[in-house]
Formats: sequence, C-alpha cells, structure tokens
Amino acid sequence: LDFHRSLAALELPMASSRATSTAVKTKAPDDLVAPVVKKPHIYYGSLEEKERERLAKGESGILGKEGLKAGIEAGNINITSGEVFEIEEHISERQAEVLAEFERRKRARQINVSTDDSEVKACLRALGEPITLFGEGPAERRERLRNILSVVGTDALKKTKKDDEKSKKSKEEYQQTWYHEGPNSLKVARLWIANYSLPRAMKRLEEARLHKEIPETTRTSQMQELHKSLRSLNNFCSQIGDDRPISYCHFSPNSKMLATACWSGLCKLWSVPDCNLLHTLRGHNTNVGAIVFHPKSTISLDKKDVNLASCAADGSVKLWSLDSSIYSRKIQHTFTIAKEVMSPSSVFFNPKCYDRSWRLWDLEAQEEILHQEGHSMGVYDIAFHQDGSLAGTGGLDAFGRVWDLRTGRCIMFLEGHLKEIYGINFSPNGYHIATGSGDNTCKVWDLRQRRCIYTIPAHQNLVTGVRFEPIHGNFLLTGAYDNTAKIWTHPGWSPLKTLAGHEGKVMGLDISSDGQLIATCSYDRTFKLWMAE
Amino acid sequence: MALSKRELDELKPWIEKTVKRVLGFSEPTVVTAALNCVGKGMDKKKAADHLKPFLDDSTLRFVDKLFEAVEEGRSSRHSKSSSDRSRKRELKEVFGDDSEIAKESSGVKKRRIPRFEEVEEEPEVIPGPPSESPGMLTKLQIKQMMEAATRQIEERKKQLSFISPPTPQPKTPSSSQPERLPIGNTIQPSQAATFMNDAIEKARKAAELQARIQAQLALKPGLIGNANMVGLANLHAMGIAPPKVELKDQTKPTPLILDEQGRTVDATGKEIELTHRMPTLKANIRAVKREQFKQQLKEKPSEDMESNTFFDPRVSIAPSQRQRRTFKFHDKGKFEKIAQRLRTKLFGLITEENPKREDYFGITNLVEHPAQLNPPGNVSTPVTLGVYLTKKEQKKLRRQTRREAQKELQEKVRLGLMPPPEPKVRISNLMRVLGTEAVQDPTKVEAHVKAQMAKRQKAHEEANAARKLTAEQRKVKKIKKLKEDISQGVHISVYRVRNLSNPAKKFKIEANAGQLYLTGVVVLHKDVNVVVVEGGPKAQKKFKRLMLHRIKWDEQTSNTKGDDDEESDEEAVKKTNKCVLVWEGTAKDRSFGEMKFKQCPTENMAREHFKKHGAEHYWDLALSESVLESTD
Repeated sequence: LDFHRSLAALELPMASSRATSTAVKTKAPDDLVAPVVKKPHIYYGSLEEKERERLAKGESGILGKEGLKAGIEAGNINITSGEVFEIEEHISERQAEVLAEFERRKRARQINVSTDDSEVKACLRALGEPITLFGEGPAERRERLRNILSVVGTDALKKTKKDDEKSKKSKEEYQQTWYHEGPNSLKVARLWIANYSLPRAMKRLEEARLHKEIPETTRTSQMQELHKSLRSLNNFCSQIGDDRPISYCHFSPNSKMLATACWSGLCKLWSVPDCNLLHTLRGHNTNVGAIVFHPKSTISLDKKDVNLASCAADGSVKLWSLDSSIYSRKIQHTFTIAKEVMSPSSVFFNPKCYDRSWRLWDLEAQEEILHQEGHSMGVYDIAFHQDGSLAGTGGLDAFGRVWDLRTGRCIMFLEGHLKEIYGINFSPNGYHIATGSGDNTCKVWDLRQRRCIYTIPAHQNLVTGVRFEPIHGNFLLTGAYDNTAKIWTHPGWSPLKTLAGHEGKVMGLDISSDGQLIATCSYDRTFKLWMAE
Repeated sequence: MALSKRELDELKPWIEKTVKRVLGFSEPTVVTAALNCVGKGMDKKKAADHLKPFLDDSTLRFVDKLFEAVEEGRSSRHSKSSSDRSRKRELKEVFGDDSEIAKESSGVKKRRIPRFEEVEEEPEVIPGPPSESPGMLTKLQIKQMMEAATRQIEERKKQLSFISPPTPQPKTPSSSQPERLPIGNTIQPSQAATFMNDAIEKARKAAELQARIQAQLALKPGLIGNANMVGLANLHAMGIAPPKVELKDQTKPTPLILDEQGRTVDATGKEIELTHRMPTLKANIRAVKREQFKQQLKEKPSEDMESNTFFDPRVSIAPSQRQRRTFKFHDKGKFEKIAQRLRTKLFGLITEENPKREDYFGITNLVEHPAQLNPPGNVSTPVTLGVYLTKKEQKKLRRQTRREAQKELQEKVRLGLMPPPEPKVRISNLMRVLGTEAVQDPTKVEAHVKAQMAKRQKAHEEANAARKLTAEQRKVKKIKKLKEDISQGVHISVYRVRNLSNPAKKFKIEANAGQLYLTGVVVLHKDVNVVVVEGGPKAQKKFKRLMLHRIKWDEQTSNTKGDDDEESDEEAVKKTNKCVLVWEGTAKDRSFGEMKFKQCPTENMAREHFKKHGAEHYWDLALSESVLESTD
C-alpha cells in the first residue's frame, strides 16, 4: 500500500502500471489462448478516488515534491536527458537478417542440383569455387553448391552456359565456304577420276542417243511390258537371315550372291535365288550398318582381292576377300559409320560417318585421301553417279549435296526435305537423283535444272532407301518403315506395285544388276527376294 | 531615279573614271555636273542637254557610259557587299590595262551609239570575247571577273595537265551552243543588265565546276576506263584522243575554257567561234518574238512545255508508250549445237591426252568446306523428356516440401518473427483446446469455432479460385492446345473416298476439320474424292479416327442397295463406299487455306486445282491408286 501511495504521489498514471502487472499475469497461460482471455482479477481497489480526496485536502503537493527531491538526491530516481534507445529499429534489423536467412534456405530447397558428382564439380568450377574441400564427399559438395547457388542465384550458372552456347553458335554461323589444300595424292586421285569418268560419260551419252533412236511406239510398248511385269512382282523367297534385325542387303555384281549385314555383327553371303548360306563373315562386334560388294567382284576381280567392305556402329570398316571368310584388313574410325558405298571406279570407296563428314579412301594404298565436310549433322547415305564423277550425300540435317569428285566442289544443294535424308540414289540416265527422307516423301531432283522436279508422297513412315533400276532407270524402288517397299514408274512417278509382306520395318533394299530381282531386308530378321512371275 | 548623297559619293569615282576615259584627262567640273545630273534623276536626254556645253561631240557617248556606270554601280551595290566592291576595285587597279582595249574598240562603239539610244535598254548578251560583243566593252568589271575566272581555269588546267589529259571538249562546240543560246532567250531584255553579273558569275562557277568534275574524272580511272594515266596523257600528247573519254564527253555539256583575253578556246589553245547574240533593234526583236509565238502556236503544247531551258540531254526520256516486247525464240537445235561443241572440245581433250586437261576442269587438290546450314526446324534446342514421378514419389515429394515449410514456420514463431498462429479448433477438438471456457460459455465458444471453420473454408476456396484460369484464359489455352505448334513442320494426310455425295458426311468432315483447326481441301470428282488435311499431329490423329472409323462410309450404299436389288452382289461390293488413307507425312508449310469443297468434273481440273496450291502429287497418287485398285 505504501508503494502504491508513493506511486500516486509521483503522479504516474495508475492505469499503465496496472496494465503491465496484468500483462505479466496473463503471459503465464499463453499456450491456452482463448477467445475470451481469462483475466486473473487482482483488484486492490482504485486509489484514484482516495488520491483525489487527499489532493483536495492539499497535503500531498508539498510532500510529493519533497519526496521527489529527496529521491533524486538519493539517486533513487533517475531522469534522462532525452536520450532514446530505439528498440524497434534494432529488432527490425535483426529480424530482417533472420528473415533473409530463411528466404535463402527456402530458395536453396527449391534449387535442383545435379546428383552427378562430376557435373556438380563442373558447376563449382564455373562459379569460381573450389571443386572440393578437404574431407568433402559428393553429398556435402552438392549441398555446398546448393548453398552457393542460393546466394548468387541460379542465373549465374545459366549465364555461363549460355555464353558458351552463344560462342559456339556464332562460330558456326561464321562458317563460310573456305578451302584448304589437300594432299598431293588427292589431286592425283581426282585426275584419275576425271580420266575414268569422262569416257564413261561419253559412252553413256551415246547410249542415250541410241535409245532415242528407238521409235516412240516401241519405247512405250517396252515400257508397258515392263510395267506389266512389275505389277506381277511377287514374293519369291523369304529367308530368316539372323537372330537380330538385318540392316542392309546388297547383290553381287553378277547377281548370284546376296550379302546381308546384321545387327548381331555378322555378315552373311547367300546364294541367289535359292537363298542358301554361303559364307558367314565374322569380325564385327557391334551392329553392322552396311556391306557392299566391289563393283568388279565376281566379274573380273580375283577372289583373293578385296571383294567386300562392311562397316559397323563402332566406326570400324572391314574389307573382305571372297576366298576366306576372315576379314583381311581393318580401318578404324572413331565415329559411327552409317553406310558405305563403293564407287563404280572401284578404286575408291566411301564410308560416311555420323561426324558430319564423308571420306574417300584409296583401296590400294589403304589411305584416306579426302575428308569432306559440308553437312551440319551426320551424313547418312551416299551414292555415286554412274560415271564415277559425282557423289551425292544425304545428311541428317535434311539437306543433300552433290559433289564433283574431280574438282571437289559441291555442285548442287538439295534443299526441300523437312526431315533427315536416309536414302539417295543416282539414276542410270545420269541426271536424276532420288532422295528418301524422314518426312515420308521421296523427292526426285534434276541435275540439269538443278531443282526438285517432283515430290512423291511415297510412304506412311520414314523412307529408308531409294534405288533406281540399274540398267535404264525405268522404275524407282523405295522402302520404308511402314513395312512395305513400293515401286514407282520413272518418269511419271505413279505407283506400280506395293511389296507388302514384311512384318517389320524395311531397313534395306537392293535391285540386282540385271534388274530381275529385288531384295528387301527387314527389322523382322528376314530378307525377301521379289521377282516377276 | 534621284539618288542620296551617300550613293552619289559612291558613284563619284566611277564617273571620274568615265570622264577620264572619254576626255582623256580628268575634269572635276564635268564630274560634278554629271553627278548633279544623276543626283537629280534626269533621264539620258536631259542629261545630254545639261552636259553638252562641257563635252560637245562626245556628250552622247559620255552620257551613255555614265548611265551605264550608274546602273552598274547600283546593281553591284544591290547584289554585293561593299567589301566585294572594294576588292573588285582593287582588281581593276591591278589589271588597269583594260583602257587599251576600250580604246581599240572605241571605233566600233561609235557606230553603235545611235542604235543604243533608240533601244534605250541593254539587249541580252552572252559572255563572250569582248572584241565580238561591243555592248560589253565598257563593263570593266565583267571583264576583270572573266579574266580572274580565266586565270583560275588556266591554273587548274596547268595543274590538271600533270595528272590528266585535257578534255576533248573543244571538238564539240556545236553541241554546246544550242544549250547556251536559249538562256539568252528567256531573260527579259529589261533585266538584262542586272542579270549580266549573275550570268557571268554563273558561267564562271559552271566553268569551275566543270574543271573540278574533269579533275575527278581524271582521278577515277574506272570511269574513264583506263587505269594508266600516264599512258593516256601520252596518247593525248601524240594527238590521239582516248576514245572512251570522247564517248563519255559527248553526252555531257563541255566545259567552257577561256584564255587571258576572255576568248573561248579549246584544249589546245585554239580559239573557237561561238555564235553570239548581237544587239538589234527592238522592232527586230519583236518581229522575231512574233514569229516564235506563231511557231509555238503551231507546235504541240507538250513541246512547248519542255522548253530548251530545262532540257538536259543527259537524262534519257522513256517513251510514253511502252514498246511491246516480243518473244525471242531460240533457233531449234541452238543449245544442242553449243553442247555438242563443248563435248567435242572436252572429248577432244581426252583423246589428245592434252596435258592441260586439269586446267580445263580446274582440278586442284583444294578441299572445299562449304557453309554448313542448320537443318529446317529448330533442332538446336535439346529435346528433354519431362520427369514423371510415380504416385508414391509424388506423395513423398509433397510430404517433404510441406514438412520443410512447416518447420520454417515453427522456427519463425520461435524466434518471435511472427505471431503464433491461432490454435486450430474444430467442433471435435474444441473441448480439448478451449477447456474450461467451453464449459463456461459453450454457445459463445461454439460460435467462435464455427466462425473459424468458415473462415478456413473460405480462405481455401479463395486460394483455389485464385489459381483457376479465367474463362477467357481457359478458352485461349484450349485453342492453343488444339492448334498445336506447327512451326517445325505441318502434318498432312490425304484420304481418298469413293463416294462423298452424302451431305451429312461432308458436313462431318468440314465441321471436324474446323474444330480441330485443320486446313485443307476436298476435291470431289466422280469416283475419286480426295480429302487433304493439314495441321498438328494430334488433330491429325483425331481426324484419322473420324475418317477411318467413326464415319460409317458404307452406310448409305447399304440403304440404296435395298432400293435397287437388280445390281449384282459383286458389283455392290466393288461399289461399296470406303475411305482409304492415301498418305500421311510432313511438309514445311501449309499449302491450303480454310477447308473448302471443290467440285471438279474432270481429272485435269482437279489436278489444276491441286497444282495451284503446289500439291499436285497428292492428286496424282490418289488417282493412280484408285486406278490400280479398279484394275486389280
């Protein structure tokens, strides 16, 4: 009571003191916050009335002042000179710090960091941080990267990546046509090709002129005869080639043998037309992409010489002779090879790689004489002109290019397909090129007009191969992933016959050099021979 | 014509000079008298009367000259600043020898005086050698200016002669004259005097410009077509003009070259005769004008329009009517001949074993690296598969994130960063949470709990609603989904229907194509009805299902079959309506617009329609397939 009285004497507002006291009291049952807080009523009775009474009597004034003075003198009452300590501000600053830390942790939680340790290290390096600390495991490293990223933001990493991409892009865009000097052997080879191809071209033209001499009526009747026979094409033989999909088939130049390449790594030689296994060529360890005969093998070439060439997905090219089934030599590539073709000039062959280039090899010297770039993506198929002067390449970048092997120039750019080109072939007439593409179409190009002259809506799935009839080019054969191969008239490009029968995608096809037999091989592990009845 | 005092002061030296020239000595009394006359604004006759006592015989000449001088002084004052004038005076003093020329030709002038009086005005005169145009003789200023210009030109010529040959301009004086003559025609005779200075100034400038152009031409070997300047100069020195230069210059106005005496000269320094306008009587001028007017009346107004003043021979005028272009047919066998010639050349080379064969083909050991083009469609962006989680994984992820969020909240409360949340009460747990209070005032507590529950419910629903797309956004999203992204290539499918006369089926095709945002065309032709649709892959899938499964194509025929039983079964089977998918694939762009039906009575017409859109191969394939089918 005495304490209260003195308070009253100091003229402090009574209510505030009471409020603090009640607040202290109510803090205790904090965990039980109720809508209506249960207030412990500690009521000592209002002193106000009594105070007023006392003041009215006039006895408090002097007493209060004296008491105040005494209190100050005694040091019990301290009066500040207006200095203020801003608790609010101080607290808010600290609060902000803590909140920022919370934010950071929240961000860190949301950042996705690779679980691949090498990638984590690469990221750390890109950010200029040590890639590892003493005794740090992959998990800690990952956590560290996450924390760093939560501070600097993930944009930092993206930026560096983007810069890299940009520089790469600009590099590519900067690319323009340029030349470099090849080895001397290249010039020799080119001269050889020129020497070889020009008489052939002359011969071809003479033949064409002779063909022109034949009266129109006989020509049309011949054509009709051919079409009739083609309409009657039928599945003549079907053989299970291996226990894995067969990727490629190729007739020997004398049409007595068929070589098949299989994903099991084996290549097989079959007799035609009875389809008996003659040889199994063991040597590749992975998928064999293609196998081709030497254009002179079985005709004039010795059996001991290089008669066949095959390539596999691991980048190896193997050359085979016919007398033994053991491969004779081996050429190693670092890139996957899609397909290979031997040029009609028989000295050179052409494996094409997924590394955006194609090569020209000298078979005798067994050395690469030309490494030709030009496609922005892998080169998938290549074909030689009948004369041996031109080569056509079809790339996964949906463009085709025709190269003059004698000058080394790209003489025609085949632009028009929407998707990858999987097949390309020259017509024996010398100026038509057919390309098969992933957009289900087959385009026919004219070398003389240098443009696409017709688009055949050929199949209902991607076209894997195109072949012209090898003697006169009177028809066109296309095979596709819709399990069929189709025969089209040429020119005219109307459908003649659909070779349906395969249960899987048609992976490869070929027409025998006499034009009588058609072979298709498929994903269903079989190859089929087709012949007119 | 009264003049102010200042003007008179300015005129004074002029008059003094004139007096000196006429009389041979300076006479201040005459000068003051003359000034008086001019100052009072007298005309020529009055002035002559006034001055007669002083000058006797030469009065008329003096008056004439005086007035000329006054006129000239005035015009120069109008056109030029005083500093210019002072400079000219200085020039005059430097080339003071003009008086000799004046004296030389004074005899000529004397004869002309009466005529001038009659005309009263200055006839137009072209800048030319003073000996041939007496009207200009007294104009010292003009002469001096011309001399100055000539000097400049001469200097330039000298400079140029070191680097370039002089232009063969003088060879074509006749071509330059018709251009110059009309200039005089257009000038009003009354303004001739005031124009004179300007004309000379212009002539000088033109000459300078010409000189400059010549210099530039000489510096640019490509224009002249001869890189060897020295050789060119030598050629010229030998008296042979380089032919190309000559050709060029014939189409251009030739530069005016003047010598010291102001005569027009050619490059070799020979004087050339230019036709000059001679001063004549006004009556003569009028007569000429009348004739000209008559001629103009006779001539077409269009010709009048392109009066020679603005005629520039360098500008080629297109004929008003375009000449009809005719076909240029090549002779039959022309190209065959060329090819044959090439071939013989080629094979001749081979047979002869010409060692230069490689040069002929350009066979080198260079390896070409052509520019690599990026494939169509944006392949550069790596294709990544979305990460799909199993149900279990999804749940785990959700649990973890929620736990993390909860932990964070708890920590914040513990640190006093945020007020603790209100205890979450439900009807079921209210006794446990509120305890005694619930017992004390159950109604109030229940109301409170219910309010809290309602609040929670409301917050939840609001959050959901906020996440929801608006009706507009939903619509846009749906359309976007249906339209699909066809920037990388459009999917196309071609169907062939045997009979598409049923309007219900037509409607189905059209409506579905529209709803799936497919474009294309339907060509109706007897037995071969071709439907081509283009769009995204999903839409194509749906449309394919519509065409091959949902529409029962043989429905109608079965109905009609009931009507006419006489048809044999076999034929009915053959005629059974059906739909075949001819082709499906991709192309770069759409070739058709909104789905349209087109009735084509003939095959050619149908093919033409397709060809118009660059898609004739669809029609070819569909037609030949149907033909094949019918023959089988």
